[in-house]
Order: sequence, then structure tokens, then C-alpha cells
Amino acid sequence: MVTTFKLNGKTVAWELDPGLSLRDALRAKGVISVRNGCDGEGSCGLCAVLLDGRSVNSCQLLAVQAAGRDVRTVESLSKGRELGIVQRALVDAACVQCGYCTPAVALAIEELLRRDKNPSREAIADALSSTMCRCTGYEQFFDAVRIASKRLADPSYAEPAGPEFRPDLRHIGKDRDKVDAARLALGERAFVEDRVDADACHLKMLHSPHAHAWIKAIDASAAEAMPGVVAVLTHLNCPDQVYTTAGQGFPEPSPYDQRMFSKKVRHVGDRVAAVLAETPAEAQAALEAIVVEYETLKPVLSIAEAKAPGAPIVHSGAVSYVVGGPPEGTSVEGDGRDDPVVYQFPLHSDPHRNLAASAADGIGDIEAGFADADLVIERKYKGNRVQCTPMEPHVVYARIDSGRLVLRASTQVPWHVRRIVARAIGIPENKVRVIKERVGGGFGAKQDIVVEDVAGYLAWKTGRPVFFRYDREKEFIASRTRHVMEIEVKLGAKRDGRLTAIQMRLDADTGPYGQHCLTVPMNAISKSLPLLLCDNVRFEVKSYYTNLSPAGAYQGYGAPKGSFALQTCLAELAAELGIEQLEMIERNRVRSGTRIEILRSLGEGRAGTAVTLGECGLGDMLARGKAAFAWDLAKEQAPSHAVSASPKASEIPYAQGDWKIGRGAVIIQQGSGLPGLDAANAELRLLADGTLLMLSGGADLGTGLDTVTAKAAAEILGLDMEDVEVVSGDTDVTPFDKGAYASSGTYFSGNAAVRAAEDLRDKVLAAAAAVLGEDAGRLKIAHRGRVVGERGEVSLARLAHMSIQGEGHHELVGFGNFKTEHAAFPYGAHFVQAAVNERTGEVRLSKYYAYQDCGTPINPALAVGQIYGGVMKAVGHSLYEEMIYDETGRCVNPRFLDYKIPSILEVPEDFRVELMPVADEVGPFGGKSVSEIALNGAAPAISIAIHDAVGAWVREWPFTPERVLRAMGKL
Amino acid sequence: MKSVQRYANPSSLQEALAARKADPGASYLAGGTCLLAGDGRDRPESVIDVGRSLPREILREGSLLSIGAGATFQELAESRELPPCVTDAALSMVNRNTRNRATLGGNLGADKSCSSLIPILIALEAEVEAASPSASPANPPGLERFGLEAWLRSRAEAPDIWRAADLVVRVLVPLVEGRRAAYRRWNRVACDLSVLGVAASYRIEDGGVSGLRLALGGQGPKPRRFPALEALFEGVALPSREVIEEAVSPLLRPIDDLRASAAFKRLRGAQLVADALLSASAQYGASALSGASDHRGERIW
Ligand SMILES: Cc1cc2nc3c(=O)[nH]c(=O)nc-3n(C[C@@H](O)[C@@H](O)[C@H](O)COP(=O)(O)OP(=O)(O)OC[C@H]3O[C@@H](n4cnc5c(N)ncnc54)[C@H](O)[C@@H]3O)c2cc1C
Ligand code: FES
Ligand code: FES
Repeated sequence: MVTTFKLNGKTVAWELDPGLSLRDALRAKGVISVRNGCDGEGSCGLCAVLLDGRSVNSCQLLAVQAAGRDVRTVESLSKGRELGIVQRALVDAACVQCGYCTPAVALAIEELLRRDKNPSREAIADALSSTMCRCTGYEQFFDAVRIASKRLADPSYAEPAGPEFRPDLRHIGKDRDKVDAARLALGERAFVEDRVDADACHLKMLHSPHAHAWIKAIDASAAEAMPGVVAVLTHLNCPDQVYTTAGQGFPEPSPYDQRMFSKKVRHVGDRVAAVLAETPAEAQAALEAIVVEYETLKPVLSIAEAKAPGAPIVHSGAVSYVVGGPPEGTSVEGDGRDDPVVYQFPLHSDPHRNLAASAADGIGDIEAGFADADLVIERKYKGNRVQCTPMEPHVVYARIDSGRLVLRASTQVPWHVRRIVARAIGIPENKVRVIKERVGGGFGAKQDIVVEDVAGYLAWKTGRPVFFRYDREKEFIASRTRHVMEIEVKLGAKRDGRLTAIQMRLDADTGPYGQHCLTVPMNAISKSLPLLLCDNVRFEVKSYYTNLSPAGAYQGYGAPKGSFALQTCLAELAAELGIEQLEMIERNRVRSGTRIEILRSLGEGRAGTAVTLGECGLGDMLARGKAAFAWDLAKEQAPSHAVSASPKASEIPYAQGDWKIGRGAVIIQQGSGLPGLDAANAELRLLADGTLLMLSGGADLGTGLDTVTAKAAAEILGLDMEDVEVVSGDTDVTPFDKGAYASSGTYFSGNAAVRAAEDLRDKVLAAAAAVLGEDAGRLKIAHRGRVVGERGEVSLARLAHMSIQGEGHHELVGFGNFKTEHAAFPYGAHFVQAAVNERTGEVRLSKYYAYQDCGTPINPALAVGQIYGGVMKAVGHSLYEEMIYDETGRCVNPRFLDYKIPSILEVPEDFRVELMPVADEVGPFGGKSVSEIALNGAAPAISIAIHDAVGAWVREWPFTPERVLRAMGKL
Repeated sequence: MKSVQRYANPSSLQEALAARKADPGASYLAGGTCLLAGDGRDRPESVIDVGRSLPREILREGSLLSIGAGATFQELAESRELPPCVTDAALSMVNRNTRNRATLGGNLGADKSCSSLIPILIALEAEVEAASPSASPANPPGLERFGLEAWLRSRAEAPDIWRAADLVVRVLVPLVEGRRAAYRRWNRVACDLSVLGVAASYRIEDGGVSGLRLALGGQGPKPRRFPALEALFEGVALPSREVIEEAVSPLLRPIDDLRASAAFKRLRGAQLVADALLSASAQYGASALSGASDHRGERIW
């Protein structure tokens, strides 16, 4: 059918299949700013267009329905590459993180401002109610609308600068545009799915319907013979290799327990077969023609079932060790049928009892500590499975070029992808190039090799280009999730609140494979215990295999769950002792200059050492929070925003009495990368026109890392931001970097960039010294791009030009490498005021203040945005999000319709982030890590607030109305 | 997976009915927020877009409110003619992009337990004016009126009968002096389906409840009236909310599902019944309608 309509002001006439959605038609015609985050369910709003001026989801419109109508996409907001007012405001308000949602957000704001020039907070929330964003936490969208609205009235309006830091520096500590923000706001090609060639073949995966089964027989012959089918891959014809999908440094602390395809399926959603075909429909048809005969096994569906004597065994193959050997009393002999399990080094595991890994250690004498206590309490906390839900699901495009495999990837770990894919395929690393594209959200899920191995292998084997993108359901069931953890905390204290003993016993559910099986649960311990000073501490961690969805890395790693257990238990102990909860924290917390002994037993796989803390901002942050929440007043007198402004509460005015106010506060910490284990590198080139090219190994996931490295270069070489371009995360072009995880981006990759810039500066000064005939020590870099001596000056451009001419010695290139033994801890304090309905169990957040010591904020508004985003994810995990399984091990809510991530309407009414810089001596310009720590506060702070409001402890999250009512004994 | 093969875009009701007569297997397509939801789901092979065929005006005709079936949720929310309990229900579809597309007719056509509109329309004794493709050109366009609940029931239970008049053209809501009404719902987050919904309407006569209608969603496969609940309060003065809850909860029979346990739905459902009954305002009656717009102004949620 030929359909004629107006697209962005121009009449178009397209020949359209009547079944095609408008979203797919636009994408097929190259309007790629219209995206897909929920497969047409209508939940995500990333496919939004303006239809006759109204914002609608284009996935639920047939393209032929556009006939005679006016359709506008984000392309209509800009003039060429010049940003429109709304787009500019989004960049200015630091709203562009991964940028996957940005075009949809821009359109929603555009529509709003056309009908309402000066919208209220409620009207803004209404306009953005349809648009999901997992990165930003939504708060800065309110700023963007305000800025855009002012500029519409007065185009010259300039937003006053936000808080600034480091007055001695030009760019560091000041807000600058995120380097990729403009192109993302324009909706330009940036993501893997935007790079796919017309001749690409499509990969589809057959996923297991059973949680635990042998594949007795699999017949793909019919599928192979179907039209368009290029290849079918099963356990019978895939490489015979086990590996781990964990994108960790080699040798990994994760067992090699996964084959590309196995004859045993270990969770609903496990790989059974892959089809590569010319079109998605042909691939799908062929998948359905594969005949599989399963021999089902009893699945392991909980930690308790995994531990039980006689439990079904998830991995029954032979167990071996590259270095070291098995713990005494464990069995290593395989059943002759299952795939082997290979440990790079011992992890105190016993796979044939479903124990993937374990650890135990401590300091002091725990029994003596409890004996010394006036009061001992023991509580059990549980955190359920949550999914990272990046708006862009896992995706890869693999192509053979000049005899090599080129992977365009959406990954946090380009170098680990290269290593693991090369191993999985059985080719040398120099045959593989990984190019990290813009990543539409990673949050840990993209630290694993989830799609790259099979796409890479099929491209390598067939020579055909391979496009593979998960849909949302697959993202839930066959990507990565945060481990379920059950944590028993036992605390002993003196009557005055001083802790005499802390014991944490943690059981984790790693799912069917052991990626991150030890490090995630250990992180729950290592990022919570060092906040409290105590002489007698003991911890035990056990990580079990189950037949539920695979667990892995998720922003915060294990820390949010450990923090929830320990901080909540401390508050419970305070309540029992009759001590105010912040006073309890005060009596036990670390502070500047204290020696943290527990770090002796928390060495991240190496021998640990106690550390004497330098400056620690906790005291200041707690003081600020107490003042802002009028903590010393009874909470009834403290100013409250909850009941009156809470929309649902105000609907039942007579029942206001059901809403009780409570408040809670916690202290939190994280690390900044993995000292002694990881390394990052960067290279900075001075080009002949005096501009800089930063080649950073770092993987920017929308976090702003490329902006950090660009800033380092501009700052040190006396240039402006527009003088620096960044190329990052390309294994052929940029030097090695461990990847973006463990809060290492700014600290490691940022520091590598600083070192590269310093190296280039020194080389520039040496070259200038020769030109100017002055001692290099007397020369200075001056703004913009000059080297100034006592007798004269020379431009960077001239130096660069000379260096590559006939008489030049070598190109002016700086190299930077960063590794460290120094552990930099960012600290934070989160304060919450919640309204809890004692009749309905509902919890609403009226006030949430997050204070964070991130060292020098390199780019304050971006740092703040990371924290808002982290907090909102944690709010989602605390109140709404949970993967739910039926009795066969199938996740019953693998979609946004029933897995509820927060929208802008869940944002706390009064939501604030404040940065409290305490410079770190090793970090770049004194910077520390920012984003992960922000996830550690919400759950314990909210659980404490719920108790404060209604007197019940909810020890399992999410704190749904149902769980709150149960904890109150009302259900 | 089936996808749409044939698309018709008639420009009048007659044409739409003729298209349907010619292609009896075709589905009417309104906002598409239900029919076209989910890329991976089967879709009808043939659709008739009713976007240009159905009225969307919201008018008062004497003691009747007439709402065009083509009206979107957003149009309902913005209307100054509707009583607050209806605009509340329309706005309880919080997702604005969906509100901009989803229609009244599609909501009735979908007849989902989580419907925002059906409970309140049933409670208000709404009637549907439905058109059947078998109408002859001499008798255009064969409009028939049904009580909303009867229409929903017959098409859910005996699809062959309702096929005769399965296209809702208008919804008619009688304006009854002195009637009070309210809609309440529970959902997990703001942008959620109405997991539990309750609508109530009644008059006060001689100090007692009269003509009580209670329609509930989420307590069974479809949103319907609960006569047993109505019987509890008909003719008596409304008791306290605790007493209402205690009386209602044993009569609810929800099922456990991933959205909530049966026990929670029973407890929460009874609370919503109490809230709907006790908060039903007098604003509904015909003479009170002019006040409705003030009320709407403050509720964007
Ligand atoms: C993100 C999202 C959020 C939602 N939230 C809510 C919510 O809060 N509350 C709620 O009630 N619903 C909600 N829904 C469901 C929503 O799809 C329906 O309620 C909506 O009203 C359907 O209207 P439509 O015009 O889009 O119908 P369509 O999808 O076009 O049609 C739905 C069905 O009705 C039939 N039909 C269409 N028009 C007529 C007519 N005039 N007469 C008879 N039959 C007809 C169609 O043939 C089809 O069977 C939500 C949906 C989405 C995607
Ligand atoms: S893809 Fe259209 S709303 Fe998600
Ligand atoms: S910036 Fe919104 S989803 Fe990433």
C-alpha cells in the first residue's frame, strides 16, 4: 500500500506492508531515533512520535495509519546539526546519559511546552509518564523543562552555573557538555543497531522451556533446509570449550562452566540452538522447525533446595583446577555426561553439592565479642532477584573484514570480550577486533559476554554478517540479574551501643552458571563491614548453583544487599537498645584517621592489609542531613511534604490519618576499581592543527567517562573541550583497559588519561624548549594551546607540525598507564522521609537526600545525574522490582507490564543530591568513583523509615504493600 | 506469528459496517493500544480502522451524557462535560502516550478485568449504542441500545449473538439527580494497569443507600457488578469503613497471581469498596456538573 503522509514537515509516499508498525517502518527508512525498548508492549515510550502534534507510541500504530497525518520525530526539533531549544536544554541539564531515551524525552517535552508554556512539576511528570529512562533517575528532566521553557520565552536565557569545585582549574569541577550528548540528543547513529548493513543476517536463539533437562535428541535438519537459513548451531556442532562469560580480568575468579551450547539446559531461557538466516522471519520459522527431545530433571529453585541433602546437581561434570586443587572432601569426578567445570584457582567450591564458591574469614574473637555484649540480636534479610533492564537490550553486530572478526558491541568490557570470544571460537586474539559503540545502558549486565560469542562464531564460520539483538523477554530471562541473597546478621553491643561483635553469614544464588559467583556476594561483605568499627568480626559467604535465571554483575555489585542487611540490623539493634538510630551509627562508624582492621580479611583474592583512613566526609554529610531533616525535632514537628502533596493520599482526605511519616538514614561506601588487579591505559595525540585525539581504553556506558578523559586532556594541555576528540573502547585503535566495572571508570581510565596528558605535556615542553632555546623547566602551558617561556612562545600546532616534518623526531604522543595499590573509598549518607499507609501498606517517598563524597567532582552535574540514577534504581529495587518464578522455574514477569521499574511519577517529591568533596590523593584531580555507591542506601534507609512510621521491620525487599502489611501482622 | 494483511480505513460508519459485512472476520481497530500491543503477538489478518467512522464528541443531551466511542482517554480527561468520577477513571490510565491513543470504544471492546472505565460506566448505568453490520442501507446504520453490562456479558459469553451489534458507537450515561459516584483503584506503580478497581454509585434516600451499584475489576476475569456486595448496603445507612471492609472481604474471591496474592486482593479490594462508598461525592448529579471542571483542574495525575 502506498501511504502518503507528512514526515518532519516533508510529504513522503511510502510503499508499506500493512502489517508493519510505524516504528518499524520509520526505522527501516533510516529514522533510527525511534527506538524499541519493550517490543511494542507500550510501556517504554522510546518509540514515541508526535502524531498530529500528540505524543504517541509508534509501535502500536500501523504505518499505513499515518496516511494523511503529520508525523514528527526528534529530527524535526533541530536545524541540521544545530540543537533545538529542548535538545539544548537536555544537554545543559545533564539529562543525556546513555542517550537511548533522549529523542523520546525531547519529543515529550516539545509536546508539553507547546500546550503549556510554564508547566508545573505535575504537568512535567504527566508529559514524561510514558517514557522510561533507567539512567538518569528523571530528576534533571525537571530542570531541562524549566530551562527550555525560559529559553522559549527568552532565547538568550542562560542558566546560572551549578556548584563548582576546584577554583584553581579551568575545566575540572565545572560543568561542561558531555562530549557525546549533542549527537545523542540529535538522534544520530550511535548504537550497534544503527550500524547494521543491509546484507546482515539475523540470529535467533532457541531458549530452553525447561529449568533443568538433558537434551536427549535434537534434530535441526528440517530447519537447515528452510529458505533463507544460513546455519544452525547446537551442542552437536559448536566449539567444544568451556569458558566463563564473566568479563573479569584473567584469571577470573569465576568457574569455566559454560559451553556455547550444552547438552544440558540449566534454566528456562538457556541456549538450545541458534539459527542464522537472511531475515528475522526466516530465522524464527527455522527455530520453530527444530525438534528437541528433553529428559527433564527436577530443578533447584531456591538456595534451600540447592543446599538440601540429595538435591539435584546443576553441574555434574568433572571438576578440575588450573592452579591448586579441590578442597578436601569434595568430589571432582564427573558423571561422564555433563560438561566439565574448570576453576582457574580454588574458590572453596564443591560443585557436586551445588556450591559454586565460598569464603570465610574475620578478625578478633567472635565468640568473645558476643560474650562481652550486653545485647545480642540475630536477624535474617533477603534480597530478591532484580534485572538490570538497560533500555537497549544486549546487541551485537559481527562481521568479517579483511580476514578478521569485527564485533560492534554494546559492552562494558571490550578487551575481555576479545579474549573470551577468541577463546570460545578457538582463534588467536589478533584475529578479533571489538569496537564498543555507544551503549544504551549497561549497569553490569553488559560486563558479561551474553551474545558476542555465538554471533562471533557464526560470523567466523559462515563469513556472513551477523546481527543479534535480544528482545525484552530474553533480556530478563537470559541476560544477567542481581543474585538473590539471604543474609543472617548477628550483632552484639554494649548498652551504650558500641559494637562488640559482628557476624554476617551470606548465602547467594548464582543461578545456573558461576559468573561473578564469589565476587558479587563477597562485595556485599567487603563494602558494608568496613563502615563499622568492631574488633571481633566474622563472615561466611556461600554461593550456590540453582536453575533460576543467571546472576552476574549489576551496578553496586553485591554491596546494596550487604548494606541493607547490616545497616538495617544496626538500626534494629539501636531500637532494642533505645538508642536513636543515627546516634548508633555515630558510635560505631569509621571516621578520619581510624584504622580499618577488617580490611586484613577482605583482600579481593589477595592478602589484605589494614588501612588507616585519611580524610572521610561522613561526619559532615551526616551533619548536613540531620540539619536538612530537622532530625533533632520530633518527626511530627519536622516539615513534611508527604501527605498533602501525595496525590493518592489526597484523594481520600478523610483518611489522611492512615499515612504515617517515618524517616531513616544510613551510611554507605563503595570502592574505586580493583587495586592491584586492574589496569587502564590511554594515549593522547597532538595533531598538526593543535587539536588533541584522546585514545582511551575506557568503556563509556553513558556514564560520562569520555568526558572525564577529554577534560583531563583539555585541562592539562591548556585547551578547550572542543579541542579534544575522544575515541574509546576500540581494541584495534585504543590501548588496553580492564573495562567499566567495579566503579573504576573515573579512577582508573580517568587516571590513565591524566597520565597520558601529563606525558604529552612533558614531551611538548621538551620540544618547545628546543624551539625556544629555554630550559623546559621554565616553560608553561598557557590557554589556549600555547607554550610560553620567558623569551617567547610557541603554539602547540607549530610544535605538532614540526614533530612530524622531515626534521621532526617523532609524533607528539603521550602514553598513560594507571594501576594502583591504593584503595579509594567513596562514602555517602542517604536520608529518607517516607509516608507509609498503615492500612494499605503503600510506601511513598516524600523526601530523599543523597550526600556523597566522590572526591573532586570532575563534572558536577554529570556526577549528580549518576547519583540520581543510581538512587532511583535502588528505589525501584526496594519498593517494586522483583523477578517472580512459578513452580517450574519459569519467570512469570519478564516484561515491563509486570516488572515495574520506576517512572518519573515514582521520583521522591523532594529529591536532592549533594556532593561533599574530600579529595583523594591518588584519584584524577582528587576524584573518586561516583555511581555504584548510590545504590547502597535506599533499601536500608527506606526499611528504617518504614519501621519508624509503622513500627514493623520489613526484612525482605522489595517492600511491597503486601510485605509491609505482613510485617505489620495485618495479612 | 500472524500479522495484519488487510487494512481498511473507512470514512463513515456506514462504510465501516459495509467493510465488516464484506469481511466478517475483520477486527475493528481503534487506538490499537490493545489490539496491536506486543510485537510478538498474533494480530488479526484484517482490520477496519474506525478512527474516522466513530463520533468522538462528548455532549450533554438533556438528562443524558453522550460520549462518542472514538473519544480517547485524553479527550475524556480534558472534557468539561463529564463528572469527576469518569475523568478520574480516564486519568487513572497514567501513561500519557497511551491516553492519547486509547479510546472508549476500544476499552469496552477489550473488556479487560483491569479496565479503568468499565467499572464506573457500569456503576453509572451506562448504555451502549452499538451498530451491527447486518443493518440494511435502508435502515442506517442499525443502531441498537443495550445496558453496558448486558452487552459485555453477551459478547463475552455468547459471541455469536453479540456479533450482530459489536461496534460501540456511543456510550450514554443517564444523569440522575442526587446520584453519588466514585472510582478507586490500586496499582503497583503509577503507570500500571488497574490491578484492582472499584466503582460505586448510589443515592441517599431517607438516610439510607438507594439504587447502589458496585462494579469491581481485578476480582474476577472481567469487570462486573457484584450484587452480593450491593445487597449488603442497599437500604441502610453506610456503616464505618471498618465495618464495610469486614462485611465485604469474605464475599470477594480473587485469585493469586503475580500481581498480588488472593489474600491481599481481598483485603485491598474491600478497602477500595469502603473508600469508593464513603468518598462518593454528590458532584455527580445533573445539577452539580458545572462544578466538575474546577475539580479537574487540580488533578493531573
Ligand atoms: C501502556 C499501557 C497502559 C494501559 N493502561 C491502562 C489503564 O490504565 N486502564 C485501562 O483500562 N487500560 C489500560 N490499557 C489497556 C488499553 O489498551 C485499553 O484499555 C484501551 O482502552 C483500548 O482502547 P483502544 O482504542 O486502543 O482499542 P484497540 O486496541 O484498538 O481495540 C481493543 C479491542 O476493542 C475492539 N474495539 C475497538 N473499538 C471498538 C468499538 N468502538 N466497539 C467495539 N469494539 C471495539 C477491537 O476490535 C479490539 O478487540 C493500557 C495499555 C497500554 C499499552
Ligand atoms: S516499543 Fe513502543 S512503547 Fe516500547
Ligand atoms: S539516558 Fe535515559 S535510558 Fe539512558
